[in-house]
Amino acid sequence: MDLNFYAQLLLNGIVIGVIYALIAMGLSLIFGVLEIVNFAHGEFYMLGAMLAYFLTANWGFGYWPTIVIVTAVAAALGYVLYEALLGSLRGESFERSILLTLGLSMVLQNGAVFLFTTTPKMMATGLSYSNIIVGELRLALSRLFALGLGLAAFSALYLILYYTRVGKAMRGVAQNRDAALMVGIDPRAVSRLAVAIGIGLSGLAGAALAPVYAVHPLMGFSFVFKAFAIIIIGGLGNISGAAIAAVMLGILESLIGGFLPLVLVDALAFVSMIAVLLLRPQGLFGRGVRV
Amino acid sequence: MSADTKAGLRLNTGSQPKVGALRALSIALAVLALFAIPKLTGNEYWLALGVSFATMSVLAGGLNLVYGYTGLLSFAQVGFFGIGGYAAALLVIERDWSLWAGVAAGGGLATVVGLIIGYSSLRLSRHAFAIVSLSFALLCMIVARDWVELTRGAMGIPGLPAPSMNLPGGMRWRIVQPADFYYLLLGFALFAHALIYLVVTSRLGRAMRAIKQNEPLAQSHGLNPLAYKLLAIALSALLAGMVGGLFVFYLTIVDPSIFDFYYTETMLIMVIIGGPGSFWGVLASSAVLTALPDLLRFTTDLRMVLYGVVLIVAMLLFPGGLGGWLQRRRVARWRRPHPAAP
Amino acid sequence: MTALLDVRGLSKHYLGLTAVDNLCYEVEAGAIVGLIGPNGSGKSTCIDCISGFQPADAGQWFLDGRDITGMPPHRIARAGLTRSFQTVRAYDEFTLIENLCVAAQETDGVGWMQALLRGKHLRSVDAAADGRGRDLLATVGLADYAEAPAAILSYGQRKLLAIAASMMAKPRLVVLDEPVAGVNPTMVKHIEAVIRKLNAEGVALLIVEHNVDFIMSLCSRVIVLEAGSKIADGHPGLIRSDPRVLSAYLGKSHAAEYGECGG
Repeated sequence: MDLNFYAQLLLNGIVIGVIYALIAMGLSLIFGVLEIVNFAHGEFYMLGAMLAYFLTANWGFGYWPTIVIVTAVAAALGYVLYEALLGSLRGESFERSILLTLGLSMVLQNGAVFLFTTTPKMMATGLSYSNIIVGELRLALSRLFALGLGLAAFSALYLILYYTRVGKAMRGVAQNRDAALMVGIDPRAVSRLAVAIGIGLSGLAGAALAPVYAVHPLMGFSFVFKAFAIIIIGGLGNISGAAIAAVMLGILESLIGGFLPLVLVDALAFVSMIAVLLLRPQGLFGRGVRV
Repeated sequence: MSADTKAGLRLNTGSQPKVGALRALSIALAVLALFAIPKLTGNEYWLALGVSFATMSVLAGGLNLVYGYTGLLSFAQVGFFGIGGYAAALLVIERDWSLWAGVAAGGGLATVVGLIIGYSSLRLSRHAFAIVSLSFALLCMIVARDWVELTRGAMGIPGLPAPSMNLPGGMRWRIVQPADFYYLLLGFALFAHALIYLVVTSRLGRAMRAIKQNEPLAQSHGLNPLAYKLLAIALSALLAGMVGGLFVFYLTIVDPSIFDFYYTETMLIMVIIGGPGSFWGVLASSAVLTALPDLLRFTTDLRMVLYGVVLIVAMLLFPGGLGGWLQRRRVARWRRPHPAAP
Repeated sequence: MTALLDVRGLSKHYLGLTAVDNLCYEVEAGAIVGLIGPNGSGKSTCIDCISGFQPADAGQWFLDGRDITGMPPHRIARAGLTRSFQTVRAYDEFTLIENLCVAAQETDGVGWMQALLRGKHLRSVDAAADGRGRDLLATVGLADYAEAPAAILSYGQRKLLAIAASMMAKPRLVVLDEPVAGVNPTMVKHIEAVIRKLNAEGVALLIVEHNVDFIMSLCSRVIVLEAGSKIADGHPGLIRSDPRVLSAYLGKSHAAEYGECGG
């Protein structure tokens, strides 16, 4: 057995899994704090990638400044999104939030198609074609950077959630909204920040992966449903559960893709979600929030 | 009686039978007009619109039954639509079935699948059903695209043959021209809407609406929520599957694009604008939303942007849709102080 | 004499908290029985369990000799036990008469095919239900609003509608969950009169209430719960002076044993 082949698959899987995790954690954070399912989440990933492309290709920004700018812009968009649309929704209507954010995704996605056409664009950074050779493994530098960015983002999120007041407040609201309100946490401030962080993570993921895959307006579409499947599998509202499930899915997809037909790879996320829903509705890692 | 609003006596609604007859007459005229269109104008543009209206109105009507009347948000309609299409195409091409048998089988298969996903997820909750229905639709697209042995993959199954039908009187009708498909699909839509109308105006429809409004109350009156929910799902799946079978023969090809999210988004908008739970409203909005975008020469992308905006506005301002607004007006009329009240 | 409702050994726990503990009681046909007790004594849990809305951890209950333990709520309703809810429920979009007719449709023997084909039989059944519904609306005093959407009703009127609706399925026993909570004294008197009228038609009633005076004047028998157990069961006059009942309401609780539950 070719150990290198496995190792390559594993590495690719980890990279994609980390990116899945960034998107899924953002989605999970928004659900946990606001009880809203953000169907438009994938479009912010796409917008992040698009903005990264334009910054580097049209305005000649360097890669690192691009990352920072895209993340900041995405977070700001999240803030606006909350104030304009999500703030007036309350968690009582699951269906309303799905349809509202679905409408938003339709606007963003088709707006992007209208403005930019569906032609994929390749983003060239200084690292595009460089590889690191470790033993017999070929590691694309762009993928390594994506991995590094993802891990950095994780650590930042972890620090915020566990070591800052507002982060603890977010976790509090996610666990028990009423109790959090009773101890005086301001739900609006916490929600606003949660949305900003969640969308920011999504945009960051887009910018991180832009050099790796092609950039086009429909790229967010497939990601959002997978992210949705991931948070169900990990357990609704369980942020670390979402991260673990995401990485597991990335690795599994990569490993399976190396040996089995494509249909199983693409279907894996959704079949797993259905299986988890029917057999263990609180998710693999649970939270107590049953769908 | 304590200090409540005295509503006064309602007007005697003896004019009901006359209103009913008038309405039936106008519907009959509208149907006649629709069927006369190919004779009045040979313009294929209108015929294509007619086929589109017939197909989308059946899909929207089914979604209205499940979401508008019974309160179950479902993304599965497009899955039933495509399953019906693929089943009919495969049975005709590979097993030499007649189109009618293929369409019926497609509808039957879609119904069985609908019952399975409904039964397994509704035991948990409405939300579980919404999520499972969504992943079902996505899985259909994935299987159609990737499982090449079964579905011939992304290229689909082209070259579906023109069907034919034995008419009473010994004639054989070959369905080849656009006008032929116009009559075929419009005829099916007529049948489908009549069936839906029959259900929603019966006590079955009343039961569905009761379950949507207050499920525990309905249970305490002896209504079995699961049975009625499955009925709604089964009927919507049957009709979607059958119209899918007919539609792919109109296109003469079935490919993974039959599962496009575009259909889901369009039928959702038709239901939201027409008013969830309003039979005539959704029928009307299907017609308007089929004709209008083409008339306005919108490109698909702009149309979808507009639909997205409509969806957002509807969810923010009119969560009950047109139907909810009408309901509030009804309530307001009863609450208005009556001049004769003491 | 077999009781209409026979509850044996009903127990229900919530995450370590015992809501109902080995509860036994009976309701005779045609009687009006009250179920009272301080907050948290398990009255609502007991009701939810026997009407099928909550699963019980142990116990059995029989309606007219028929074992209805563990049945889903809609089957229990069809078997002859209907109920009202603490949070007063109604179909706001339906008119009052529609509210009542829907409550009758599962017990009139009309199947789905008959419902779709709309023959003469269906029409006569619907007409009968409509007539009964209007009679009930007249009994509770809401006849004027028969064609109005239920959304316009006041709180007290919604309670009356709920009571009327619970009668439409021709039940043997109606369980009322706090029928006079939050209504003004005039309405309390009116609801009491309505209940007497309905009882006169042969329906037994089990009434959960906090309003002790209401229970005492209406019921032929009163059951008192405390902390999930029965501490008294008998004629209102006896209950009123039972020291255990008094101390339960006044704060000092006794672990009262009311005898073995097993007959």
